[in-house]
Amino acid sequence: MKQLVKHRMMKTAALVILGAAMAGGSAVAADKWDGGDDLPTSPLACDAGPATAAAAKPYDGGQPTGAPDKAGKPITLVDVPKLIGIGYFNATSKGMQDAAKEIGNVKVTTDGPTEAKIDEQIKFIDNYITRGVDGILFAANDPVAITPVLKKALSKGIDVVGYDANSQPDARQWFINQAQFNGIAKAMVDAMAKEVGEDKGFAIVTSTFTTPNQARWIAEMSAYAAKCHPKLKWLETVEAQEDNVLSFNQATTLINKYGDKLSGLFGMTSVATPASAEAVTKAGLCGKLAVVGLATPNAMKPYVNAGCVKSVVLWNPVDLGYAATYVMRAVVDGKLKPGATSVDAGKLGKLNVINGSEILLGSPFIFTKDNIKDFDF
Amino acid sequence: MSTIVVSRLRPGEGGALRLFASQEALLAFAIVGIAILVGLYNPRFLATRNLGDIVLGNAYIAVAAIGMSMVIVSGNIDISVGSLIGVLATISGSLAVAGVPIILVWLTPLMVGILVMMLQGAVIAYLRIPAIVVTLGMLSILKGGLISVTGGRWITDLPQSFHLADIELFGILPMPVLIMVAATILAALWMRYSASGRAIFATGGNAEAARLCGVSPRRTVVMVFALHGLFAGIAALLFATQLKVIQSTVPPNLELTVITAAVVGGVSILGGVGTVVGSTLAAVLIAEIASALVFINVSPYWIHAVQGGLILVTVVADILRRQRRQVGE
Amino acid sequence: MAVLAPEVRSAAPRWLIRHETLLVAILLVALVILGLFNERFLTVDNLLNQGRLMTEVGLLALPMTFIIITGGIDLSVGSIVGLCAIMLGYSWKNLGFPLPLAIAFAIGVGGVAGFVNGLLITRVRVPPLIMTIATLALYRGLAEGISQARSVRNYPEWFFYTGQGEWLGVPVQLWILLVGIIVAGIALDRTTFGRTLYAIGNNETAARFSGLPVDRVKLVVYTLSGLAAGLSAWVLVSRVTTTRSDMGSGYELDVIAAVVLGGTSIFGGVGTIWGTVVGLVMIQLLKNGLALTGVKGDATIIVIGAVLIASTLIASSLHGRREVAG
Repeated sequence: MKQLVKHRMMKTAALVILGAAMAGGSAVAADKWDGGDDLPTSPLACDAGPATAAAAKPYDGGQPTGAPDKAGKPITLVDVPKLIGIGYFNATSKGMQDAAKEIGNVKVTTDGPTEAKIDEQIKFIDNYITRGVDGILFAANDPVAITPVLKKALSKGIDVVGYDANSQPDARQWFINQAQFNGIAKAMVDAMAKEVGEDKGFAIVTSTFTTPNQARWIAEMSAYAAKCHPKLKWLETVEAQEDNVLSFNQATTLINKYGDKLSGLFGMTSVATPASAEAVTKAGLCGKLAVVGLATPNAMKPYVNAGCVKSVVLWNPVDLGYAATYVMRAVVDGKLKPGATSVDAGKLGKLNVINGSEILLGSPFIFTKDNIKDFDF
Repeated sequence: MSTIVVSRLRPGEGGALRLFASQEALLAFAIVGIAILVGLYNPRFLATRNLGDIVLGNAYIAVAAIGMSMVIVSGNIDISVGSLIGVLATISGSLAVAGVPIILVWLTPLMVGILVMMLQGAVIAYLRIPAIVVTLGMLSILKGGLISVTGGRWITDLPQSFHLADIELFGILPMPVLIMVAATILAALWMRYSASGRAIFATGGNAEAARLCGVSPRRTVVMVFALHGLFAGIAALLFATQLKVIQSTVPPNLELTVITAAVVGGVSILGGVGTVVGSTLAAVLIAEIASALVFINVSPYWIHAVQGGLILVTVVADILRRQRRQVGE
Repeated sequence: MAVLAPEVRSAAPRWLIRHETLLVAILLVALVILGLFNERFLTVDNLLNQGRLMTEVGLLALPMTFIIITGGIDLSVGSIVGLCAIMLGYSWKNLGFPLPLAIAFAIGVGGVAGFVNGLLITRVRVPPLIMTIATLALYRGLAEGISQARSVRNYPEWFFYTGQGEWLGVPVQLWILLVGIIVAGIALDRTTFGRTLYAIGNNETAARFSGLPVDRVKLVVYTLSGLAAGLSAWVLVSRVTTTRSDMGSGYELDVIAAVVLGGTSIFGGVGTIWGTVVGLVMIQLLKNGLALTGVKGDATIIVIGAVLIASTLIASSLHGRREVAG
């Protein structure tokens, strides 16, 4: 009898926990699109071309203390991306190697955590500070949490340049901005409106609600859509980490859930976009359900060639790594000082300084059926 | 783990049969119940297509859970299976791209799976290192090794013939579902009616008694792990062939989902009792819940909490049920 | 789990001494070799810094030693760290708790999480492995669900003292770990509580029959594990300045590796805090040393996995020899 009562109690307790969990989850209401961050947005003009220049801002980066003068001398750099072992950061790493080969007196090693975890990334950077390098290139897993360790690097006379995912400005000297957030947002939303029409519904597949870049893009997309495509109807944002199969399952669920109401899917990561395209293909909805997203060309070739996906938005990550290495060399050589308005980046030509201490790689690139075969990454 | 455990039921006899039936019935009831509830909220959930997609996209988890069930029934555990599936998927994808004959592409991951798991089983059985330590270590080795070797390069341009999961038998029966059902039935029959299948229950129930009955617990453990490797290989194949890109990484938290399926499926964590039909149903249930969360607009962040809660409820219910039975006797 | 384990394993001081001496010897040799490869490895600065990075796992390893000595295991520690970190940030930012109260609350949540583990393990007799696999998912899920994976930032400056500050030239959290080690070491070596742990691990039935408070002691060690996870979360958040729901994931691997490497038998009944400390230092310095000599992260993971298996193998073969000899 006692056992029975206990049994019941356990069951009830477990159910209460579950119930509470469910209730907590459904209490999440949404005014703006889920997955966006709370920072202020700056949507571009609806009809303007590529990103317009923002108002000039004074240099707000940090500076190393007591960095040895290595102008023109060989330097050793370490690149600590968010994580190693994914296509995107393989591509940036390749760009760095290309640049290093071109410049000649630069040696870059890429090393980092196998999962996108900030405390692991901090340990890696910390170890390289101890080991002694001339410069650190990084793509931050968390813009705030990475700050102390980068400041430590600066304080030890190590040059610090970020790319892909920024830290707080004073924790590094420069940041290579692959494309402005509002520029990406405009490109994505415009492409979607053009493909599906102005008054259709769409959903978003992202990595997680808190991945800084993705959250920024979604917030900017929301603001830009409100301004320029007010009738586009956002249905839902789902998260799928950086996981291929999960992204596929989530996209499939969205398709089944909304049926005809869903006319488009945004893929916010280079994993989510091909997986969404695959879900659309498997559902037999190619041409009826648009997929617009950020992705690398190799993974998208089958879908673009089959006509299932019309446009893929991305910067060239190889160029991003390449530019980061050139910027680092320019910093060490004293050619890129606070207040500069542009920097020479090898084959990429002159890149402009924006937002005080960021270097803009360019406008986002749009891969289509015509040009996708020219890229291999 | 603990020295005192509640007494174990002998497998295969009347009492246990009822227990299996109830666990499976419970799961089937839960699957139908959730479908109806969510269907009331959003009828689209009940569309054949959606129900089909739920099973199709998660069949590989059910297949992996079959092997895991055997491992747990034998009184062990394996937390390296997620990493192994990642490695095997990458191997088969690489072979496919290299133009190796398709039959070898499909068979190699099975062979490698068997070998890796047999090795682990042998270390566990003959060198007496606990499964948790061996598989924890192997998880690290496989994961690090995969990144070292591939650098995480995605495998693309896979030949069409590679996509086993896309094959539909007679135009209607999708391969993953077919394999899942066939593997479950075969494994269930084998575990129940063959001598070696029953040896697993004996080993998990009471290794000493099993030895006295002429069963070699060590050999049984190695055999169980070999089979587990085989199922992991099949799971990897389904996993690798359902999409056109292979990520060459370890699928996050996969081992946890597989263990959840096995445990929720009624495999007793005390060893000696279990059913693979239950684990397959449980895999479907977990996939259904994940899909249902999207349909009822609950953040997917709750999925791990639900998984954990499910394991807890099942395990506690299982143990209490037996304690009561014991009191009854 | 315990299928193939010999029925009873008893503590053997001589064997213990041998295992720990062996470990220390290996550690010294590894230190010298790694030191030769990179002159910055064996510097006070680097070693103190490693101590800082080691603390979060170290705090978890102490109660884990107790738990494994009783023949149990706690796989949920990493998830409890995540849950506590989230509760710290959430209660401060969203519930408006004053920060000191939020810290206390987070540690309390850790204690409750550990207590729940202990309660079901002792009262319902859920095997620890499965119980803590379930809560590994459950607690991480709660952390993700409650926070909706949102980070909490902008803590006041004073909060960072624990994770980034120094006291008498030594990182603050290292003092905390040091106190923890001494207390845990004495508790295990010199008290009835410690002897009860060994007794439970050696033969739980016998321990019960000799009137030892087996369930109460087990409940205490799992609760301690949760409290340590809360403490560890506080140190971790203070060190990395941000609260995230993925914090502490995978810590269980590092913690168990340290404890097992330190000579604690996974079958229970054998182990010391001092061994755990050596295991902990060894893993941290191995990781750091390999990184400094140019071994990359992925290769380091492989080495750690191999070391875990190999150390258990060596330990069990030593053990086996003793059994034959005895």
